[in-house]
Amino acid sequence: MIAATPAPSARRIRLVKLLLDHLVWFILAVILLICSLSIEHFFQVGIFINIAQHATYVGLLSLGLAFCVIAGHMDLSIESVMAFAAMLAAGLTAARGSPFAFQVNTWVSLLLVLGFGALAGLFNAILIVKFRLNAFVVTLAAYIAIRGLGLILTGGRSIYGLPPDFRAVANTDLFGLPMLVWITIVTYLAFGQILKGSLFGRRVYLVGGNPVAPFRAGIDVERVLFGVFILSGVIAAFAGWLLAARTNGATPNLGVGMLFEAFAAVVIGGVSLRGGIGQLSGVFAGVLLLSTIDTAINVMGLDASYMQVIRGGLMLIAVLLDGVKTEIAKRLG
Amino acid sequence: MRLSRRDVGILLSAAAALAAARPASAQGKGKIVYMIPTLLDEFQTESQKAVESVFSSLGYEVTSVDAQNDAARQLSQLEDLINTKPDAVIINAVAFDTIVPGIEKAREAGIKVLNFDRLITSTQFELTSVAGTVEIGEIAGNEATRLLTERHGSPKGKVLQILGDPGDAYTLDIQKGFEAVMAEKAPEVEIISKAALLWEPTNAGRAFEDQLLVTQDIDLVFCHAAHLTVPIVSIMESKGMKPGEMMLMASNGAPVGLDNIRAGWQQVEVEQPTYAQVYGLAMFIDKIIAGEELQTGSYKVLGLDATLTNEDWGPNLKIPGAAITKDNVDDPRFWGNLKFPNVPVDVVK
Repeated sequence: MIAATPAPSARRIRLVKLLLDHLVWFILAVILLICSLSIEHFFQVGIFINIAQHATYVGLLSLGLAFCVIAGHMDLSIESVMAFAAMLAAGLTAARGSPFAFQVNTWVSLLLVLGFGALAGLFNAILIVKFRLNAFVVTLAAYIAIRGLGLILTGGRSIYGLPPDFRAVANTDLFGLPMLVWITIVTYLAFGQILKGSLFGRRVYLVGGNPVAPFRAGIDVERVLFGVFILSGVIAAFAGWLLAARTNGATPNLGVGMLFEAFAAVVIGGVSLRGGIGQLSGVFAGVLLLSTIDTAINVMGLDASYMQVIRGGLMLIAVLLDGVKTEIAKRLG
Repeated sequence: MRLSRRDVGILLSAAAALAAARPASAQGKGKIVYMIPTLLDEFQTESQKAVESVFSSLGYEVTSVDAQNDAARQLSQLEDLINTKPDAVIINAVAFDTIVPGIEKAREAGIKVLNFDRLITSTQFELTSVAGTVEIGEIAGNEATRLLTERHGSPKGKVLQILGDPGDAYTLDIQKGFEAVMAEKAPEVEIISKAALLWEPTNAGRAFEDQLLVTQDIDLVFCHAAHLTVPIVSIMESKGMKPGEMMLMASNGAPVGLDNIRAGWQQVEVEQPTYAQVYGLAMFIDKIIAGEELQTGSYKVLGLDATLTNEDWGPNLKIPGAAITKDNVDDPRFWGNLKFPNVPVDVVK
């Protein structure tokens, strides 16, 4: 008779924890499999490239948002920052519809756009950190005001006709993958490393988990939060710059609705809205999952309204799973 | 700080003097409010400029309110406006039927209600000025039939139709008109319809790009608004297509559509005659405010043939939309050329 040993149990615990930590990747794999088997024309390289490429903008927005949420806050202004950045970039470089009497070089436009994103983040951070105003209200106000600024900038008109070097950023392939996909992957890898491996990243987790303890431990909580909001603004502005490159310009309603997609991706990706918990790899999987569903609906010929229903349903499932995960993790110790 | 009676008197006198000093045009004939559905669409922003300019030139004080594409908000705005007692309200509805209770309240309160651009048939108006969204779809259907016939010798092939937001009756009406004509004149044509949620251009680009992979040999793409073509042209270019290789049409007549035609990417833009629609309302406004009856018949509005008929929803001025092609793209009457007519309104006496 062989006596029971604790080893298999420990292995099982590790396996369950691995599954829980990467649940969204498993769900993504299952959804991809189901779509590939059941939808005609879905299983092809081009479709998978489309899924990854279309995930760029929401992916970048979600990345900045994830930093904020892990730090225990939220940033609702990202969609408008992205849209304004796209309008600014297009206005500064486009041949037609520009509100400016001058044009700048593509790379100067990138610097100016990133500067705008940093300013927007700084503005949010000052009000939230220094004036102790509620992040939800401050960033909601910024969301509304910056969208209005975009309307003032463009006069409600489309701006289009970007220079070829600007458009090349979005229309060039590298090793068989669109440049946008590489940019998204590299950005996620870099910021994933920052979040997990740097002092700043560890402090983001600590501040989000319990802001009082790090403060008592001598960590400059305000500085961490300033960093998080500025980062969120800069990344959203970068997403806007890429969006302008992709769409060859900007329209006043560009990016409308992407905030909710970004929130959905963050929640589905396993970032706890209570702060202190979450991984960028999960967020990336969440973004890919949403992009897969959108593409599947496009390919299937289903009514677009189903997207909303499915996104909402997925968010609810994600929140429920989050609760289940926490409970199982507690039991497993 | 306490104000003495003398201070109050001075303030009141100053206020009265300020009021008296306002320009005649701002207080002359009355107040008109233009209820605009959204400012995130250049057709609408151009219509706002046209309404404010044209009606001010006639001596009315004009203000605009933006519903931000929210039907409930627009209804609330109208109910609020009733309390401010404007002389007339020009409705450009977000949702055709949601606004009806507000229109009825406004008319009961003695406010003249004019309808602009989006046809509402379930209540009464003092005047409606529309190109007709179904008719725009019909013009697009005729143009698509022509283009496909020119390409294949007979009307056949595949059309990708990219709607706006599926919750917007405007796009559904265009679809209705387009598909009715296609069913009658080009029954062999396969139409694949996709929606750009919230009229967001990235969503249109995405639907197009996905369809390129799953549907072979699309002949023609028809977008329900010109701004949706911006990412589509960009994707066509990035896929190495040449202008005209895949045909492109759009509706509403925005500047980007006209530029696409000049560059060869787009073959047809179906324009809504924004300027003429505004002038059409303005021609009759004095008679409407005076409560006089409008005479049915034919009228020239900015050189276009318009017809005023009495319908169940009241007097209806119909100004036909036009198909813009490379042959007439530079015609200044198209609002997409952004050459505001700046001609006096031919007021109907």
